[in-house]
Amino acid sequence: MVVAIVSMIMSACHDIPEYADNPRGNFEALWSIIDEHYCFFSEKDIDWNEVHERYSARIADNMSRDELFNLLSEMVNELRDGHVNLSSPWSTSYYRKWWSDYPQNYNARLIEQYYFNFNYRSLGTVNYGLLQDNIGYMHYGSFETGLGAGNIDYILQYFNTARALIIDVRDNGGGVLTHVGDLVNRFIESRTLAGYIMHKTGPGHDDFSEPFAYYYDPAGGHLRWTKPVVVLANRSTFSAANNFVSIMKLLPGVTVIGDTTGGGSGMPYSSEIPNGWGIRFSACSILDAEGHTTEQGVEPSEGCEVDMTVADEITGHDTILDFAINYINSRY
Amino acid sequence: MARFTQVFIALLLSCSAGAKAAEPVDSVMTPIRPVESAYTIGFGSSHMADTYLSPLKYSGWGLSVNYSRRQAMKFNPEDWVMRLGLSVRADRAVNPARNATMWYGGIDFSWAMMRRWMLPSGFSAGIGPAAMFDAGCLYSARNGNNPASAKASVMIGAMGYAAWNGRIGRLPVTLRYTPVLPVGGVFFAPDYGELYYEIYLGNHSGLVHPAWWGNYFRLDNMLTADLHFGSTSLRLGYGCRIHTTRVNSITTRHFTHEAVIGISGQWLSLGGKYRPASAAKVISSRY
Repeated sequence: MVVAIVSMIMSACHDIPEYADNPRGNFEALWSIIDEHYCFFSEKDIDWNEVHERYSARIADNMSRDELFNLLSEMVNELRDGHVNLSSPWSTSYYRKWWSDYPQNYNARLIEQYYFNFNYRSLGTVNYGLLQDNIGYMHYGSFETGLGAGNIDYILQYFNTARALIIDVRDNGGGVLTHVGDLVNRFIESRTLAGYIMHKTGPGHDDFSEPFAYYYDPAGGHLRWTKPVVVLANRSTFSAANNFVSIMKLLPGVTVIGDTTGGGSGMPYSSEIPNGWGIRFSACSILDAEGHTTEQGVEPSEGCEVDMTVADEITGHDTILDFAINYINSRY
Repeated sequence: MARFTQVFIALLLSCSAGAKAAEPVDSVMTPIRPVESAYTIGFGSSHMADTYLSPLKYSGWGLSVNYSRRQAMKFNPEDWVMRLGLSVRADRAVNPARNATMWYGGIDFSWAMMRRWMLPSGFSAGIGPAAMFDAGCLYSARNGNNPASAKASVMIGAMGYAAWNGRIGRLPVTLRYTPVLPVGGVFFAPDYGELYYEIYLGNHSGLVHPAWWGNYFRLDNMLTADLHFGSTSLRLGYGCRIHTTRVNSITTRHFTHEAVIGISGQWLSLGGKYRPASAAKVISSRY
């Protein structure tokens, strides 16, 4: 009886793997955290065991903290994911190729100067004003901070006579998903499928839950926009902004113009390794309303892929914005 | 039918008469069951781990505010006592690199009725079924989308005690050891990589898990010494909590050791219509 009780107690004292605070221990801890929690191994066809072999051979007991940081940063960049950051007290690693390998396709000064003559309204991270031909324009720079429902009412009220609305989320690096919902719910008339979310159910690379559908409801008691909408995007439209574009693109009356977004559809999860460095990585995959992944980005609507040209930029023109204005003028 | 009605009325009247007749007897024979209440605070070390938040083990301090109440039970006061416990606690711990902090805040409630036995030389002991409820939250300030890990459980189990009432020098003292051991119930845990945002979106499936010693083990130990200075006693003690869970490949641990200090005493409520007879027997839960 006593043996049975003791064995039950011992089995209940569940083990937690321990890693030494040295270069090898920190390497193994980081590799294991990613191995057990990262959600895009199969989607990106990454052989994480091969990565372990390659980087393990480069770990040395006498390497400096800086050398270890650079090596581990290089290792996590193998994930090709803008949501992966290794943070030490002196530096944070970033994978930048999701935007640095592509044209920027956005120049804020150009719009502020040549389209508004620096005469536009600002509210939080939103700059907005009326363009020529009675078209409303708002640039939403970040979803890190949200707009209050009353603030959005003021903006939409300001545009109440406009024929169409351009929502520019170029260079919007994302933020809080609930702020996305606060904006999207102004453009829907009924409960709308926004997408699906999947989480890891275990440490295996393919241990995923069934996709869980999530919905947005129209903003009750607030202004809603029922006229045409054009969304402008570039490769720096990332994370929550990527999610915003993926939802808006599938709504009726919405057109996405510009470049493919930067992606970043994985919800980031945080952890740490023995030396105290933090690691952030994608842990839950968010799919669009058609069940497609948007980790590699959301393409513009058909026939609406546009890059800014140097010639236009020199003459004070935003090729993508001009395309959007012409698109609206030709259709509405 | 008429005969049946007569019998029924006769039975009813006899019951009523019996109840009325019992009243004066009850006022004499009902024993006095004083309440032993204790108000204590505890302070000591805390060791926490939750692989949902971090694979590292955190260590720091813990603080608790506790209330407990013991009373002989009404139905058989000589042999049965009840104990009610309520605790509010807060813990703060840091990771091994000491550059990240984890907080815990929670409440614990337990209630037990214990069969007791009076033993020679001032010793007594008891054991019985218990019900427990706890709720709390671990918070890691460094995490972004997974900053917190909620805790909640409803359990049944066993509570026991072993006590010695005697004197140290001229001072009356009660030494008591009280372990609480949940055996089964249900507890809350998210899925392995499930963010609370998904729960917020409405995915509530798979959050409640049946608990058994294989996935949920908790043992609360409390050793106290009540030094009786008149009607109020000084309570000194040591508390230890061992709490570990493993479900959905998530392991949690919460171990605490704390010194306890407070006051205790036996009080008798004389409110309402209750007027104990002068000859009534006093049955304490202290033993």
